Amino acid sequence: MPEATDVEVSGLERISGGASRETYRFRLAWRQAGQEHARQLILRRDPPASLIDTERRVEFAAYRAFHGSAVPVPRMLWLEEADDALDHPFFIAEELTGYQASPQLLFGGGYDAVLPRVAERKWAILGEIARADPVALGLEQVMEAPALDACWRRELDHWEAIFDSDEAEPQPIARAAIRWLRANPPPPAQKLSVVHGDYRTGNFLYDEQGEIHGVLDWEMAHLGDPLEDLAWGFNPVWQFGRGLAGGLVPRDEAVAIWRRASGLEVDPAALHWWILFNCVKGQGIWVGSARAFIDGGNREPIMVYAAWWLLNAQDRAILQVMGKL
Amino acid sequence: MTPEVPAVLSEVAQLLARNAQPGMPEPERANALTLASMLLALAAETWDGAAEMLVQENRAVAGLLGDAAAEGGLRLSALRAENARLRGLLIDAHVAAEATGDTARQKAIWAELRASTERRKLSISLV
Repeated sequence: MPEATDVEVSGLERISGGASRETYRFRLAWRQAGQEHARQLILRRDPPASLIDTERRVEFAAYRAFHGSAVPVPRMLWLEEADDALDHPFFIAEELTGYQASPQLLFGGGYDAVLPRVAERKWAILGEIARADPVALGLEQVMEAPALDACWRRELDHWEAIFDSDEAEPQPIARAAIRWLRANPPPPAQKLSVVHGDYRTGNFLYDEQGEIHGVLDWEMAHLGDPLEDLAWGFNPVWQFGRGLAGGLVPRDEAVAIWRRASGLEVDPAALHWWILFNCVKGQGIWVGSARAFIDGGNREPIMVYAAWWLLNAQDRAILQVMGKL
Repeated sequence: MTPEVPAVLSEVAQLLARNAQPGMPEPERANALTLASMLLALAAETWDGAAEMLVQENRAVAGLLGDAAAEGGLRLSALRAENARLRGLLIDAHVAAEATGDTARQKAIWAELRASTERRKLSISLV
């Protein structure tokens, strides 16, 4: 904004949650060409240590790639990767106002009539993400493009390394799952897709009609097997105790919506592999959350709550998916 | 639970002291106090049974491994250290059972792993 004068920030307020980035909303007012302007914006800043460690450039690029497409995302404005302005890298985006993200609110009773609509939109949008061409979106410039038969190994290697570096105590259930995953690899991906990486209820903005207005939290976005993204939402912990995919509809319905939107097939054995993988990935995130607190890099209570609430639940999810519970 | 309860309670104490000061932004104060209350509730739920759970589990795993559980004391930190040692050995035993195709051994280990999640299950568990 080189032409702007009288720039004023007001109403700065931290938004709860955000274990991987600190998130604030604020109002930006300025004068330009003799006129007053004002916008409601979001600031996402890296914390000292995170539940997951990712490149903010990748997240920024993913949002930008989908802006204006069938995948609703907020508009990204500025990215700052240096530490000197706000101590840590950050980006600024337009705020999408008037919508909700909370799963607790969604499942609190007031939205029951529109839950099927939320489900339709949720998996249709995920299908659009899967259908998109990463090269046409320019994302292969910021994201590694693995071979179709290497997608699973790259992800499994990455998350096993998280256990090696971060676990504060042995994880016999997750380690057994990792051994099974290595011994029973899935078929090659049917195409290389953008993988959001954390596409679950709680990471999109919805309204009272069940429409979805923004897909958020792209910090784990990468290129890979589209079934990975579909399976993340089938991790049993994301049923929120409701016995439904994403807490919304039976899994078969979710898969049918996704197939229609993506034009892709769902091999049941491959989907099972990716669901179990995502249980391991989830456990890697909770293990990393505990580690960030233990090492003192991030003493936010959310880091503890994620670990206390979910470490054992995720172990039980692994057992359930492996048929051992 | 991991991170360990004493370290977390110490952090929650500092968090409460900070949020007792005037001038904290109300949304941040509300968020901090809500999370603090949730952590305190989980600590309260697990406190009474923590030592018994670890002693039971250490005996069960040691029995399964044919390992003499070390008596390092009854502090939770000592019981947890022994638990970590034994569960590390349990991983080795599981790998060995898979390598030799010892299905009976694998079944026994899976049973113990399932039991371990029952011992740790919280009232708010999602699974």
